[in-house]
Amino acid sequence: MSIYIQAAAQISSQEPLSDAWFTNPKRYTERHVRSIDPDYKDFISPIEARRMGKILKRALATSWTVVRKTGIEQPDAIITGTGLGCIENTEKFLSAMVRDKEMYLQPSFFMQSTHNTISSQIALHLKCNKYNSTYTQQGISFESGLFDTYLQFKLGKINTALVAGHDEMTPEYFILLDKINYWKKGKVNETILRKSNSIGSFAGESSSCFLLENKKTAQSICELKAVDLFFNPTQQRIKQAIEDMLLKNNLKINDIDIVMTGISGDCNNDCVYRENIFPLFSATPIAWYKHIFGESFTACGLGMYTAMLALQANKLPVDYLYNKISPIEGIKNILIYNHFKNKNHSLILLSSC
Amino acid sequence: MNEDIVVTGMGIITGLGYGKKQTLEALRLQHSGIGKNNYLQTIHADYPVSEVKMSDNEMRNFLKIPSEKIITRTPLLGIMALNEAINEARFDKNEARKIAFINGTTVGGMEKSEQYYPEFINTEHYIENHDCGSSSEAIAEYFGNFDMITTISTACSSAANAIVLGANLLKTERVDVAIVGGTECLSKFHLNGFNTLMILDKAACRPFDATRTGLNLGEGAAYLVLEKASDAQQRNIKPLCKLSGYANTCDAYHQTASSPDGQGAYLAMQNALYESQLKPEDIDYINAHGTGTENNDLSEGTAIMRIFKDTIPPVSSTKPFTGHTTSAAGSVESIISILALQHDFIPANLNFNHPMPELSFQPVKENITKKLQHVLTNSFGFGGNDTTCIFSKIE
Repeated sequence: MSIYIQAAAQISSQEPLSDAWFTNPKRYTERHVRSIDPDYKDFISPIEARRMGKILKRALATSWTVVRKTGIEQPDAIITGTGLGCIENTEKFLSAMVRDKEMYLQPSFFMQSTHNTISSQIALHLKCNKYNSTYTQQGISFESGLFDTYLQFKLGKINTALVAGHDEMTPEYFILLDKINYWKKGKVNETILRKSNSIGSFAGESSSCFLLENKKTAQSICELKAVDLFFNPTQQRIKQAIEDMLLKNNLKINDIDIVMTGISGDCNNDCVYRENIFPLFSATPIAWYKHIFGESFTACGLGMYTAMLALQANKLPVDYLYNKISPIEGIKNILIYNHFKNKNHSLILLSSC
Repeated sequence: MNEDIVVTGMGIITGLGYGKKQTLEALRLQHSGIGKNNYLQTIHADYPVSEVKMSDNEMRNFLKIPSEKIITRTPLLGIMALNEAINEARFDKNEARKIAFINGTTVGGMEKSEQYYPEFINTEHYIENHDCGSSSEAIAEYFGNFDMITTISTACSSAANAIVLGANLLKTERVDVAIVGGTECLSKFHLNGFNTLMILDKAACRPFDATRTGLNLGEGAAYLVLEKASDAQQRNIKPLCKLSGYANTCDAYHQTASSPDGQGAYLAMQNALYESQLKPEDIDYINAHGTGTENNDLSEGTAIMRIFKDTIPPVSSTKPFTGHTTSAAGSVESIISILALQHDFIPANLNFNHPMPELSFQPVKENITKKLQHVLTNSFGFGGNDTTCIFSKIE
């Protein structure tokens, strides 16, 4: 049983609903970079769009894009990962409630505040009655949803799935997270992030959406070989998990052409990759993406997107290369490794097809 | 893997009390946990709620959590329930078996966020406790030794979907044990949210009653320990029951309302029956979602009629006992269903007096003693996230 990515779409700090940015990504120096929104009128009626927060519009636009590309209008599963859910609406309801002391509240912000609003709005748009779920586990929210999908494919429960990761970063939440040192204190650029000698990264937003199918077609972009999650693993546990994953897929360490990491410029975050990955993959190109997209709870979805493009294009632009080892021609296997505060860790294995 | 998934431990805390014993006793005596709020601070004190009758500090003391440790009520409830479940399953938490913790929650640390929002002045540590994932992490870290954890947030079906993921994890053999369920404390946020939707009742809720006008909120946590039948046997543990079927579907009708024909609910029950290889007439008891809102009970009742036709088994909603425990409801009501199964009785649908003219059946008015083999429980959430689980006695 194999799983293929048949179509993908993203909205981020890069050109939305496009892959053109891959070879020349935009760079930012602000601490808070918001996504570039496309024109939503191709996906949502203006009346509907007025009532929707940004995250829902992005979710619907990316979903419709992959559905239209594949013609799969009734995926067997719709699964979203989101660290904060519809935080913009949550804040609106919460601040009105606090300000007006629980009086004069309107239902609209509450109705679209729960995390599962995203998956259910997608189902509503597609009129899809099938499996529908939402995962929220901080920095591995996207991978949690992908993991559920992977298990269901393995069990033969589904043939197709729409899997997505969505997070917005409102100015208010940016400030809150700034108080607890999520973000660097001055301007950021690649040099500073690469040095990784202070805590914090910079804030981004992420929307990525993938249509998966258990059938290889002319459209297939790459294969999703494995997904796994780990809680508070020891270094030994991660090493063993990587080796097990490779073994199950008949691969060895040197078959991995690129390790795509969640290195973000935050010294506490990055040292985990140095300890868990660098010794094991000492001769392998190490890549990163959070210096392009910024940090967000579902940034790993954009990491998988970038890895997918590298497999498709059979090249990795130098913009994404973290160490000095360039991938040689013929990129076949990419291991994506991400963790959140060294507590929850995730592994994803993508291969060319 | 075609092997049975069995339940080897359960833990619960709700307005009915702490633990299965107190829960069962309250059900038997038909004592509801619903009453006046004591811990939740709100101007809407005229809405009855089912609170867990312990303060945060009492739970901290019970669990020996030091006062300097930052922890909110949702994970405290979770740890209480998980404690009981793990004790019953009798496994050494330090043994080498791989254990997953799958938690359902939506409120997360909101009850503290709403106290300190928007400034979080001098309470910055609560910022990191706001999101749902951090609640699961706090629970998991109290026990340690989980190989993986994650959090499901599908509103009021979250805990039921945790059961679904846990079963899939066991079937793929990713883990040896899956501890699954949900936890949710009362918060001003969702009390006010439900209030704006005009679905709260100022009187005790009356599911499936023609005069019903809304739900009563509750809080609680409940977890089930799932493992393969052969593993339980090897450990010499007698399973409590088996999970014979489960299904997750989406109503895809409206963000906060259920469809008139109950299509999502219909498909969830039908798919769960299909997976369990049972026929509708095999089901001995339906623990309904039955919130007491006009919309849910009509939609769910219609779906039950469509599936069970002329052989509708006894139906009750136990929300008049526990209140609607939202994200925890799926596991709270699974445990109530399993207690019913173990003790061969059907808990009453309290406060029912007036049949709904639209429905061909009436819920169970008083507790019934009855041999039970298969019980079905429904959990439905906003966004049309509908999930059904079926539990069966082991022959």
